[in-house]
Amino acid sequence: MKAIDIPVFQPRLRVLNRQQALAIHAAALEILETTGFTMEHPTALDLLLGAGCRVPGDGRVRLPSFLVEEALNSAPRQIVLYDQLGNRAMPLVDENPFYGTGSDATFVIDLETGARRRAVLDDAAKFARVVDGLDNISFNMSMANPDDVPIEDIYVHVFAEMVRNTNKPLVFIADSGRDMARIYEIACVVAGGEEELRRKPFLLNYSEAISPLRFPQNVMEKLIFCAEKGIPMCLPSGSNAGGGAPVTLAGALAMGIAENLVGLVVHQLVGKGSPFLFGPNVSVLDMKSTVVSYGCPEWSLTQAALADMRDEIYGLPIWAYAGASDAKVMDAQAGAESMFSIVTAMLCRANLIHDVAFLEYGTTASLEMLVMADELVAMSRFFVEGIPVNDVTLALPAIDRVGKGGPGSMFLMDDHTFEHFQEGQFLPRLLDRSRYDSWEGAGSLDLYRRCNAEARRILTEHEVQAKPAGVLEDIKRVLEGG
Amino acid sequence: MPDPAELYDAILTGDAKKAQEVTKAALEDGVDPSELLQKHMIPAMGEVGRRFECNEYFVPELLIAARAMKTALVLITPHLAEAGAEPAGRVVIGTVQGDLHDIGKNLVSMMMEGAGFQMVDLGVDVPPEKFVQGVQEVEPDIVALSALLSTTMPGMRLTVEALEGAGVRDKVKVMIGGAPVTAKYAQEIRADSYGSDADAAVSEAKRLLGLS
Repeated sequence: MKAIDIPVFQPRLRVLNRQQALAIHAAALEILETTGFTMEHPTALDLLLGAGCRVPGDGRVRLPSFLVEEALNSAPRQIVLYDQLGNRAMPLVDENPFYGTGSDATFVIDLETGARRRAVLDDAAKFARVVDGLDNISFNMSMANPDDVPIEDIYVHVFAEMVRNTNKPLVFIADSGRDMARIYEIACVVAGGEEELRRKPFLLNYSEAISPLRFPQNVMEKLIFCAEKGIPMCLPSGSNAGGGAPVTLAGALAMGIAENLVGLVVHQLVGKGSPFLFGPNVSVLDMKSTVVSYGCPEWSLTQAALADMRDEIYGLPIWAYAGASDAKVMDAQAGAESMFSIVTAMLCRANLIHDVAFLEYGTTASLEMLVMADELVAMSRFFVEGIPVNDVTLALPAIDRVGKGGPGSMFLMDDHTFEHFQEGQFLPRLLDRSRYDSWEGAGSLDLYRRCNAEARRILTEHEVQAKPAGVLEDIKRVLEGG
Repeated sequence: MPDPAELYDAILTGDAKKAQEVTKAALEDGVDPSELLQKHMIPAMGEVGRRFECNEYFVPELLIAARAMKTALVLITPHLAEAGAEPAGRVVIGTVQGDLHDIGKNLVSMMMEGAGFQMVDLGVDVPPEKFVQGVQEVEPDIVALSALLSTTMPGMRLTVEALEGAGVRDKVKVMIGGAPVTAKYAQEIRADSYGSDADAAVSEAKRLLGLS
């Protein structure tokens, strides 16, 4: 009989034990039953009241925990995002991590001048094209909040620009139900109809409730729209420790989760079985600068905690962040903070991981950061594969051959090396390991400048498969329709 | 009957067995060995070098290509000698006295062989007088010295001095290389050249002999 393969341990980060997870969940339920929340959308409020919520004299909605249980039962355990060509691209479930960009940076680092300047629509196009050309970046979010389109239609234009410049899945922002409907119209054009889009969704909406515990009209409009149409969505509030939420991480998590559960309950009441990506954003409000940090260890820690709670309790795929920084330029701080969040997001098996390529706590977008992150994700991916242990990898025949071989015998020349070096080793492309003279000879380029060159190369060489002319025409029509 | 042109692909993909077959068949068929070398083998190694330069090939791919090249070279060398054709150059190589490391030296040796040099490998822990003896016997174009440790680098200086003492220094070019070695050190000990890695060693050897 053939020996049974030795299973491979794949490094996995856990930060909560079961008791901690259950206690945070219980706290979230208690927040909903005792403190309650403000629901500013009348239809959503009616639905909640009809389902068993009550509103005492203070006007705040109290939500009984059985509604949470029901919503958790009806929401799908897996959300599959397709690419815009109809291929299965991102099965968001269990241990699958996917990385992508963020949205609404008002500034970009100019690829030509290196200067920080106001973002324009063409920047959204550039980010989408570079995302399209990177193997380890799975989805696109607009990055740029452009200065050169009418503010009331900003998200429609940005969505159209993404569609024109990448075929990868899209995470998108809308302001309210109004622009959401137009974005949906464009998405239907791309997918070839409403039914096709429902069957193979290539997009996911990102909306935010307002911490603490407030659900505005426009936000709930979007949530109801997505629930009705079966568009996958998430509703992370900014329950940042010390800002929108208490300064201690457990309380911030409990409150952020409570807010998410409200979203989930309304969502499932509107569209039972519609896909909802779970999870709050729990970073920290920096106690000196008052910015919400994008490079802090706390955010990585809270999303690892959320991954544990997914496994212990919720069973829903989760929303996360990585690959961003508080640094103003792509320096050592940017590299350190990016890698910290990228590898921990991978180690905790977060599912949809956004905000890759942000500098300046999410205010500035950098193509160089994006290109660097692609390699850091690959590096992390290699790490979590672990060490396969079997006859081939133990390589005893190779050790025997080289060990017993005469002078000149070496592993570098052995067939085993040739056959396995490609998968046996992580082979970096941008992280430089060349000898000093070669590095100097190539212009002494640091990582920032190598990433700059690579981003330019992708923009010049990578061809994005163009949408059919009819689709582009229809998109233009939607945009002009106003 | 295999086409001699298949030798190009055999070397490029490091298929030593195929390289051997094609070369044998071509020689039996009366194909001119220098034509095999010039038209198929050298261009193949040129392409291997190009792919390495632009990061398509890694060192193991380079080495097995060199090994395939060597398999073919072994077969055609006697014929080349008959026809009076010479190798690109003759090189005596070794790791200097006190140093037992051979991976770097082997790597350089293999790559130079792939580039058409005839290599005479003296091994590791080679005392200066053995290098002198090697030079006297082999009459090489180049002596290549390797050291991995800063503590064994003085063996390089002693070797150069021994070559000078024996009056053969001006008959050969001396190349040095290894982790602690620098171009400045090469200058200090009156060596002719320094290669920062195996690839650079090949280009330096070609440059020293006016082949590039």
